[in-house]
Amino acid sequence: MLKAFVGFVAGVLATVVGMYFAMPHLMFNEMQSPFGFEETIARIQHNIVGNPELKAKGWALSGLRDPARAVAAEGGNVLPVKMVEVCSTRYSKPILKDDTVRYLSILMPCKVSVYKKNDGKVYIATMNAGLMGKFFGPTVGEIMSQVAEDQKLFVVMDPSKPAPPMILPTAAPAAGGGGAGAAGGC
Amino acid sequence: MSERIYVFKRFERFWHWSQAALILFLLLTGFEVHGSYRLFGFERAVDYHTVAAWTLVGLWVFAIFWHFTTGEWRQYIPTFQKVDAMLQYYLFGIFKNAPHPFRPTTLRKHNPLQRLAYLFIMVIVGPMIWVSGWFYIFYDYWPVWGWDRFLSLEWVAFFHTLAAFLMLAFVIVHVYLTTTGHTPLSHLKAMITGWEEVD
Amino acid sequence: MRKDLTSYALVFFGLIATAQAADPPGTPSAAVVMAGRTAASSTADHSKFKELDRDFKSGPEVTRACLQCHTEAARQVMRTKHWTWEFLNPGTGQRLGKKNVINNFCTAVPSNYEFCTACHVGYGWKDANFDFSSEQNVDCLVCHDTTGTYRKLPGFAGHPVYQDTEFPPKSGKIVKAVDLKKVAQHVGKSSRKTCGSCHFFGGGGDGVKHGDLDSSLTQPGRHLDVHMAKDGLNFSCGTCHLTSGHDVPGSRYAPTAMPKGRIIRGQKETGNPASCESCHGVEPHAMQRLNTHARKIACQTCHIPEYARGGIPTKTLWDWSTAGRLDKEGKPFKVKDSTGREAYDSKKGDFRWETHVIPEYIWFNGTVNYTLRETRLDPTQVVKINSFEGSPMDGRSKIWPIKVFRGKQPYDVGHNQLVVFHTWGKDDAALWTNFNWERAIEWGMREIGAQYSGKFAFVATEMSWPITHMVAPKEDALGCAQCHAPATGVGRLDQVPGVYIPGRSANRALDTFGWGLSALALLGVLVHGGLRILTARKREGDTA
Repeated sequence: MLKAFVGFVAGVLATVVGMYFAMPHLMFNEMQSPFGFEETIARIQHNIVGNPELKAKGWALSGLRDPARAVAAEGGNVLPVKMVEVCSTRYSKPILKDDTVRYLSILMPCKVSVYKKNDGKVYIATMNAGLMGKFFGPTVGEIMSQVAEDQKLFVVMDPSKPAPPMILPTAAPAAGGGGAGAAGGC
Repeated sequence: MSERIYVFKRFERFWHWSQAALILFLLLTGFEVHGSYRLFGFERAVDYHTVAAWTLVGLWVFAIFWHFTTGEWRQYIPTFQKVDAMLQYYLFGIFKNAPHPFRPTTLRKHNPLQRLAYLFIMVIVGPMIWVSGWFYIFYDYWPVWGWDRFLSLEWVAFFHTLAAFLMLAFVIVHVYLTTTGHTPLSHLKAMITGWEEVD
Repeated sequence: MRKDLTSYALVFFGLIATAQAADPPGTPSAAVVMAGRTAASSTADHSKFKELDRDFKSGPEVTRACLQCHTEAARQVMRTKHWTWEFLNPGTGQRLGKKNVINNFCTAVPSNYEFCTACHVGYGWKDANFDFSSEQNVDCLVCHDTTGTYRKLPGFAGHPVYQDTEFPPKSGKIVKAVDLKKVAQHVGKSSRKTCGSCHFFGGGGDGVKHGDLDSSLTQPGRHLDVHMAKDGLNFSCGTCHLTSGHDVPGSRYAPTAMPKGRIIRGQKETGNPASCESCHGVEPHAMQRLNTHARKIACQTCHIPEYARGGIPTKTLWDWSTAGRLDKEGKPFKVKDSTGREAYDSKKGDFRWETHVIPEYIWFNGTVNYTLRETRLDPTQVVKINSFEGSPMDGRSKIWPIKVFRGKQPYDVGHNQLVVFHTWGKDDAALWTNFNWERAIEWGMREIGAQYSGKFAFVATEMSWPITHMVAPKEDALGCAQCHAPATGVGRLDQVPGVYIPGRSANRALDTFGWGLSALALLGVLVHGGLRILTARKREGDTA
C-alpha cells in the first residue's frame, strides 16, 4: 500500500517536472526558415493574402510589428525580429462576444513571429493554438483548433514560388512598431 | 551481536561532507563548462566552478594540516594485506552473507581496498585535477610567466576532464559501497554521527 | 575658442596621463575627450576670401583657387592612394590599388574609367591617358564640402554636374547643377558625409561593398556605432583615421591585424592610429579574463556582433554569370526581392542582400594576397580574389571578423586568368549597352593590352573584407555563450581552427571513454546491488 502510494506520488512528481520543462515547447512551435528574413516575412504574408481558402475564412493581415525597433530606438542592438499579425473576424467574433472568454482578446491578433538567431538562420514561431484552446472550453477549443489548422498554411515555405514583395504597413509605425493596418483586417 | 565504535572525528566528518558537496557541485558545473549540458549558463558555471574550486583548496589546506597534526595520514598508507580477501568478499562473500574480512577500528578505519582506492584518488586523480585546474585558473597569466611556451589549453583541459571522469566513476562506486557495511546504512551513519556499528 | 583650447589641452594631458599612469583598465581614455572638439574650430572663414568670391565654371578652376593659398595640398594628395589608385604592398610585393585589382563586384576600372572615377579625388580621368601630374585635376571639394550639395555621378569622369542633368539616364530624376561658388566658400574638414560619399557606396550602391560602411553611419545612433553616434561621441572618420598631410592612415590592402597598443602624441614610432588599441590599449577590460581573450581575438570580433545593422542591407552575393538575359521583347529587365532591392538585373546578374549579417571569422595576420589579373587560377576551385593569411601558430594573428563576398565572374579559359571587361561606355561594345559578353571582354582586354584566348567561362570567386566599423556599445558585445555554449548549437568560432574553446571543443575520444567508464561503474554497482538483494531474499526464503 505504502509502496503504491509512494509510486503514485513519484509518478505525479515526474509528470509535473516533465511538464515544466516541456511546456515552453508545447505552447509554441518554432521552425527554421529556408529563406532570408524579409523573404520569409513576405512569403508568410502572401500565403495569407494569396490563399483563397484562407481568404474565404476571413483571414487578413492586420499589421507587421517590429519589436526590435523600440529597442534600437533606445540604443540597443537586437537581431531582426518582426511579427506578421493576422486576424479573422470569423474566429475572433464569437470569442469577443462571449463575456466568459473575452479576456482571450489578449491573444489577438494571431501572430507569426519571424526572427534571426545567432546562428545566422531565420526562424518562424507560432503559438500552438490547438493546445492552448483546449484549456478554455469547447467553444474556444473548437475555434482554436481551426485556427491551428489555418495557421499551418501561413507558414508553408514553397521554394518553387518566386520571392514576393513584403507588404509593409500603410502608415509608418511609431517606435515600438504599431500595427497600423497593412491590408485591413481586424 | 553488534557493537559501536567511534570511527570518524568531528572535523573528519565535516571535511568529508563539505568535500562531497563541493565535488558534486564541481562535477555539475564542470561538465557544463565542458559543454555536456546547459544548466546555469556558461558564464555562471565558470564562476561557480572557480569559487567552488578555491573553496575546496581552502578545505584541503585545513584537511592536510589536520591529517599531519593528528597523524591520521597514516590511514592512507597502502597495504596489500587482505586485498585478495576484500576482493573475494565483494565478488562472492557478500552474496552469501559471509563475514566482512575487515573490521574497522579507530586506528584502522579504512579497509585495504579503500586505502588503495583513496590513495589512487589522492596520488593520481587529485594531483591531476589540482595541477591541471590551477593551470586552467591561471590561464590568463601564462604569457606573463612564460608558461604559454610549453602548455596548451587543450591538454590542460584534457587532463582536467579525464580526472573529472575518474572522479565521477569513483563517486558512483564509492556511494554504492557505503551500503556494504554491517547494515546498508551503517557506513553512512558512521560518517554522519562518527559511530559505526560493527559485527 | 577657449573651450576648444581646453579640450585640446585635455586631450594632450589625457594622452600623457593614459601613457604614464597605467590607468586601470576600463577607464575612458583620450578618445572620449577628443569628442569634445567641435567642427567650427577653423581659424579661417572661407566665405570671406576674395579668391573664392567668383562664379567657377569647373572643378579644376576651384582647385586652382584653393592652391593659391594651400600651395602644397595637391602634391600631398597626389602621393596618396586616393589619387593614384595604386598601392604597392611592401609585404607581398604585389601591385594593388583600384587601378590594378580585379574584384568580384564591378570587377575592374580599366575600360570603364569615366564611370568608376566618379569616386576618384580628381577631375577628368576618362581613359588610360589621364595626367596624374596635373595639380588642377585634384578634387578638393569632394572631401572638403560641408554643404552636402557636391555630388559626383558615374559617367562624368570625376566631374560634378555643371548643368542640371537627368540621372540615372532616362529615369526622369534631375540632379541639379552644382553651385561651385557656394561649395568653395563653405569648405571645411572632411566628415562622415564626405568620406561616405564614396566609401559608403562602394560596389555600386549604398552599403553594397563593405557591409560595415553605409549611409546609416552619416548620422548613426549609439547602438549602431558607439564612437560615431550623433548624440554621443560624434567621431568623424578622421578621428580614428588621423590624417596628416592628406595621408589617411588605415588600409585594407595592408591592414594592421595585431595593433601594438596606445599611440601617444609626440611618440617617435608611427603605427596605424586607426585601430581600437591606439586609444584603448591592449588591456582595456576590467576583467583580466577578457584581456586574455583580446590577445588572440581582435576587438572587432566581440564588439561588432553583426554588420549592416543600420537598416541598409549589404550585398552578399553577385553572380555575373546570369547577366545578359533579356525578356521576351529582347529588353533588359530587373527582378526585385522581398524588400524591393534588386535580385536580378540583366546588366549585372543575380544578387543577394542581407542586413544584420553575422560575420565569418578567421585567423588573420595582416597579410593579404590577391589574385591579380596575371595570377594563374584553378577554375575547379573557388578563386580567392584576396586571401587573408594567418594561423593560430604564427604569433602575429588574431581572430578577425570578415565579410566574405561571393560571386561568379568571367575568366579566360585559355589562360586561366581573370578578365577585365567593358561594362560601361558610350560605344556599342559595353556589356550594359548590348549585353554581349564576348565583345565586352575583348574590348576590356584590349584596353589593358592583355592577351585573351577568345574563350571565357565563369568561375566562382570569394573576396574578404575586414569588419571594423559599426562598433556596438559594450553591453551589446558578444557574451561568453556565443562561442562557448551557444543556445542555437552553432557557435561563432566553430569554424576557427587551432583554438581550444571550453564548452565547444571537447575531445570526442575522451568523452566516449569518460562517459563509458561512468556508465560501466553505474552498471556495475546496479548489477552488484541487484545480486545482493536477490541473494538476500533467497537466504530469507531459505531460512523462512
